[in-house]
Amino acid sequence: MRLKVFRHRQGMSEPRYDTFEMEAAPGMTVLSALFKIQEEFDDSLAFRYSCRGAVCGSCAMLINKVPRLACRTQLMPLLAGEQEISLSGYPAIGGPVSWDPKEDVLVEPLPHLPVICDLVVDMTRFFAFYRDIDPVFSPLDPDPEKERLMDPSDVRELELYTNCILCGACFAACPVDAKNPRFSGPAALASLYRFCIDPREGRRIERLKTADTPDGWWGCEFHANCRQVCPRGVPPIVAIGQARQEIKKQRKEGEEM
Amino acid sequence: MNVDEPVIHTHDVLIIGGGLTGLRAALSVFYAGLDGAVLSKVHPLRSHSVAAQGGMNASLANVPGEGSVPDSWEMHAYDTVKGSDYLADQDAVALMCREASATVRELEHMGMVWSRLDSGRIAQRPFGGAGFPRTCYAADRTGHNALHTLYQQVIARQIPVYEEFFATSLIVADGRCTGCTAIEIMTGKMHGFSARATLLATGGFGRVYSRSTNALINTGDGQALAFVAGAPLKDMEFVQFHPTSLFGTNILITEGARGEGGMLLNREGERFMERYAPESLDLAPRDVVARAIETEIAEGRGFEGGYVHLDLRHLGADRIRERLPGIRQIAIDFAGVDPIEEPVPIQPGQHYAMGGIDVGLDGAASLPGLYAAGECACISVHGANRLGGNSLLETVVFGRLVADAIVRDLPQYTVPQGDDAERAVSREDRRIDDILKKRGGEKAFSVKKELKDIMFSRFGIFRNAGDMEAGLTAITRLQDRFRTVSLSNSERGVNQALVRYLELEGMLILAEVVARGALARKESRGSHTRADYPKRDDDRFLAHTIASMSERGIEISFRPVSLGMFSPKERAY
Repeated sequence: MRLKVFRHRQGMSEPRYDTFEMEAAPGMTVLSALFKIQEEFDDSLAFRYSCRGAVCGSCAMLINKVPRLACRTQLMPLLAGEQEISLSGYPAIGGPVSWDPKEDVLVEPLPHLPVICDLVVDMTRFFAFYRDIDPVFSPLDPDPEKERLMDPSDVRELELYTNCILCGACFAACPVDAKNPRFSGPAALASLYRFCIDPREGRRIERLKTADTPDGWWGCEFHANCRQVCPRGVPPIVAIGQARQEIKKQRKEGEEM
Repeated sequence: MNVDEPVIHTHDVLIIGGGLTGLRAALSVFYAGLDGAVLSKVHPLRSHSVAAQGGMNASLANVPGEGSVPDSWEMHAYDTVKGSDYLADQDAVALMCREASATVRELEHMGMVWSRLDSGRIAQRPFGGAGFPRTCYAADRTGHNALHTLYQQVIARQIPVYEEFFATSLIVADGRCTGCTAIEIMTGKMHGFSARATLLATGGFGRVYSRSTNALINTGDGQALAFVAGAPLKDMEFVQFHPTSLFGTNILITEGARGEGGMLLNREGERFMERYAPESLDLAPRDVVARAIETEIAEGRGFEGGYVHLDLRHLGADRIRERLPGIRQIAIDFAGVDPIEEPVPIQPGQHYAMGGIDVGLDGAASLPGLYAAGECACISVHGANRLGGNSLLETVVFGRLVADAIVRDLPQYTVPQGDDAERAVSREDRRIDDILKKRGGEKAFSVKKELKDIMFSRFGIFRNAGDMEAGLTAITRLQDRFRTVSLSNSERGVNQALVRYLELEGMLILAEVVARGALARKESRGSHTRADYPKRDDDRFLAHTIASMSERGIEISFRPVSLGMFSPKERAY
């Protein structure tokens, strides 16, 4: 098989693709293939990594045109066509690169973010949207002596969203983020929703309203790419849908009063 | 202005490391109205803390134990000291256990989502070596929830974080640590950080071993920085092997899986822990279970390739989905096994370093101005073997307490004067240039791979003098070979080969410290098991191993353990 890897660093006039031949052993991941390249063939290849167990969110990249974590994506199932995800397509993600899906695995940086070097992108804009939703718990009541009580079923619903590892895969898969640089994006909105449904939180309604804007809850076009690519099963699209329902309900109640 | 003029950043307190310890410490520095900053070689959320699964021990007593007595911090301390094979310093253990409940609640008050009981209180599960269901948890993502919560608190306060900066040296002037030099990985520029006090919170060194559950970034950078700067290391031979890492990738399968009722089975389907720990069975402490598994494999009762089974099937699909969702996903993604349907193949893997930078109860290292906390430090709460659920606890408790101590001590540390930082930056700049100019020689990768294999085979679960002597000789040969290692990439910016080279330089030093400590400790205690000295020897070795750098090389001495609450007894489970 061949790993076809996007290469770009400062000073290069335009990006190129390097192709590395290797044997795909069972269980071998894209991340371990990248390490093999870096250690044995070309030590200038750049990519982020840390946990290698799909929990830290460092290694999200575009693999066969789908944003995925390199550490949890194995080569052999990709080549066998077993891990196809059909995304609602758009130009930034479906750019004109030719590759043979039976022989090649195509590895590129996440789109919508500036490339620093090879597969390393500048995540500043992604994290700026996260900061903008003010992701800090703010209870109204003073801290009790012990823990605040929580119903286990509330925890289960919250966990859907606290599981987000901020890897940026959803942001990269979102066609709205591709065309609207102001759209908060799925990860930030899912994180915001987590505070809107935390029964301990003091500003739930206020928070819901902070994204009651064309670039917040209302920016989503329900392509559902976010939910498909999330490596942790987080469904931002569900959060956005429920937030909209809640806002409509609030407005209606406001009119009736 | 000269573009090459050194960039020097000045802060009251510099925290190196952005995991749970570093972020919690940053909050305390902020609360005290001081100017603190965090420096990390990765984005803080990519720190290894995020991977902690099982939980955090605290005697909340939300779940009743078997007897009628409720849990207490004293019983937590007793379990911790016994688990440590009596090598932990009991004053430090008491401090940690007393602060545990407040620490869990503090995280809850910051918005962390913990798993809950039907009563709404924080849920607790049984863990190895504990007399009570004492481990508070957030499903099997406790570290993730805790780290994201602390990160949110840090960004809300706009505490500066220098992301993707790799610290290359500590600045030492007039016998005092006044900050560090660090290379900005994305640009290759060397920066100076001038600080009145410096806290190392850089985590463990698991990646010195070939089979490790640790993140790839856990290369012991802080321990090496401190040691090279003249601060001794303590108890470095005590390396924990987690009994259950996934066969193949050695990704951690939490002890919580056994806490929920998971059983270890050998190739014959036998629940072999009945023979090794008749009382505690699968929930004996980690050193006991890891030795049992290794013995089963060595005696031919493991599976081809060297693993045994962790069987969760009897827990049922609902309980696995609710309590161990992350574990199930890991087993599916990385071993192609669904624990609901099949047993999980597991083998022991390096997991934790009980040893680290020698610090006192206040987290101060022997070098004035330098502090350390979390896994990179050895305040000695884990002794010769750490209990599951005590490391997350240690990170947050001592992140806070050591930062508080720094705040207290700070008036005695003046703002560093003079041009020490500038000179250190020039020196480190030249050093990096020299590394990048090296040509020929071998690749760093082959040296690193050999080092890891030597550490696992010679300084692993079972040790003896012959193997270790051979291992030490091999390590010193690798240190020689390392001098000829060169990189192909000679760029300054985004040169990960350079970062890996600098990490390896430190790993080779730490490996030698582990080796010398292990050879000097002629007994078996906790994780350190010697076939040639199979018994614990309290007369000679109820003492911490102190490794210091001298002109003659690495020297080992011993220092008595701080006892007081519990007298050493034979350890049976």
